[in-house]
Amino acid sequence: MVNWMLSLEVIGILIYATIVGFIFMGIERKAMARIQRRVGPPIYQPIIDTLKLLGKKESVSHGIIYDFGPVFALGATILALLFLPIANFRLFSTNADLIVVAYLLEVPMLGIMLGAMSSGNPYSALGVQRGLLTMVAMQLPYGLALIALVQHWGTFKLNELVALQQAHGWSILVPALFLAMIVFDIVFQAMLGLEPFDIITAPAEISMGPMVEYGGKHAALLFTQHAVQLFAETAFFTILFLGGASNLLELFIKQLAVLFIAIFVASIYPRFTIDQAAKFFWKWPTILGIIAVLLTM
Amino acid sequence: MESVEKPKVRVVGEEKVRLKKSFVKPWMGVKYLFKKPVTIKIPFEKIEPAPKYRGFHTLDWKKCVGCNFCGQICPARAIEMTWIEGEKRPHPKIDYGRCTFCQFCVDVCPTGALGFSENYYLTTGGFEEDLELYDWVPINPNKVKELNEKFRDYRFPVERIEKREDGTRIYRLRDGEKIEFKVLGYGIRPPKKPTPTKPAKTAEKKDETSAKTEGKKE
Repeated sequence: MVNWMLSLEVIGILIYATIVGFIFMGIERKAMARIQRRVGPPIYQPIIDTLKLLGKKESVSHGIIYDFGPVFALGATILALLFLPIANFRLFSTNADLIVVAYLLEVPMLGIMLGAMSSGNPYSALGVQRGLLTMVAMQLPYGLALIALVQHWGTFKLNELVALQQAHGWSILVPALFLAMIVFDIVFQAMLGLEPFDIITAPAEISMGPMVEYGGKHAALLFTQHAVQLFAETAFFTILFLGGASNLLELFIKQLAVLFIAIFVASIYPRFTIDQAAKFFWKWPTILGIIAVLLTM
Repeated sequence: MESVEKPKVRVVGEEKVRLKKSFVKPWMGVKYLFKKPVTIKIPFEKIEPAPKYRGFHTLDWKKCVGCNFCGQICPARAIEMTWIEGEKRPHPKIDYGRCTFCQFCVDVCPTGALGFSENYYLTTGGFEEDLELYDWVPINPNKVKELNEKFRDYRFPVERIEKREDGTRIYRLRDGEKIEFKVLGYGIRPPKKPTPTKPAKTAEKKDETSAKTEGKKE
């Protein structure tokens, strides 16, 4: 009993998400370059990078957990993607897939950290420490934003959420949910690892954070994971606040809008230190989130 | 001590220098997204170096009197005098592995034989025969000028230097021409002419003795 139609759809969505995710990464680099008055690399540059990494002869491994980390991260991201109603494809669905997706999007970070810790590099240990603190700090406003959303629409199912928004207007048109959107957008930066909260990788500060030791095929896997995650997270944002999409083009445009806000914020604000980030997350987004929850009650 | 006058220094108040922090002002940076980037696309666009950019050297072999002023002033000791067959006086040989392109040698040259061009591109592979390119007796300025007008990309005017066992050097220029000459020796003193009979024998003896002493040392 194999559902051929479903498996074909799954493979198709996966290929689409990977390619579009890579293109999003390219757009991110290009737009940041243009804001800094550079030309920047071509849009397909991340694909070339990944292919080059896959072509490396040697790939240093530090044991089985080190190999398992990136695979685990990629698997979790793919699973999160499959629970999302992407355009008119509704692949998997449960009674409470909002929570499932919300937590599956956090799991990849854990996977990367699992692998990074087994490399035994002090830089990756420092990166993991920072990453876990960021994750702990961002859970509170993240949860509050989702609670506000669920309280307003009264459902945990993403399918129903999209249907309700298409019937009654987008989430951001509701004042309380607009507040929740701002909160979610701040958390979104940390989820993508973009500039004000890129404390985890922190280029040029703690050389590359958890990913110091990863090279070759492991790094290619992490690049792919980042591409799929970029797609999944922008799609999740679109579904929660911008009313989902009925076809792939509409979804793409909405994802681009979300991505560009993230790029703008990332390219103009400097990096927080880890203590500032934790304080920030427990202050302004939390206050806004509580107001949003109170307004929806 | 108190009678010493303090130097009068004007200090601008700190409140004038300190900036106000802002969340909104960084968004001004986004305006560059719609402006033209200021990049020069190097393989497709060209930049002209300054008219007297200090690049590779040129040497007028007719003017050079072999005074070794350039060799003495060179801070990197990159210049060595070279005796060339057919020339009465030695000419400087410049090692671009050491040269700092300060062009002191050009300033100090009494006859104006040593000059410089605006050429600054020199890239080679890592093989021994490619690296010969970094050690040359500069060529005539008129030839360099001619090559520059032909190619206009400010590369090193010589494409390849071939070194033979008997001291012959062949410079293959970029337009296909060849310059061929023979190096007899290095240093300020003229090299001893390889005359047969006595001096050769003594040299051989010396060599033998030195070889013996070396053998003892070992």
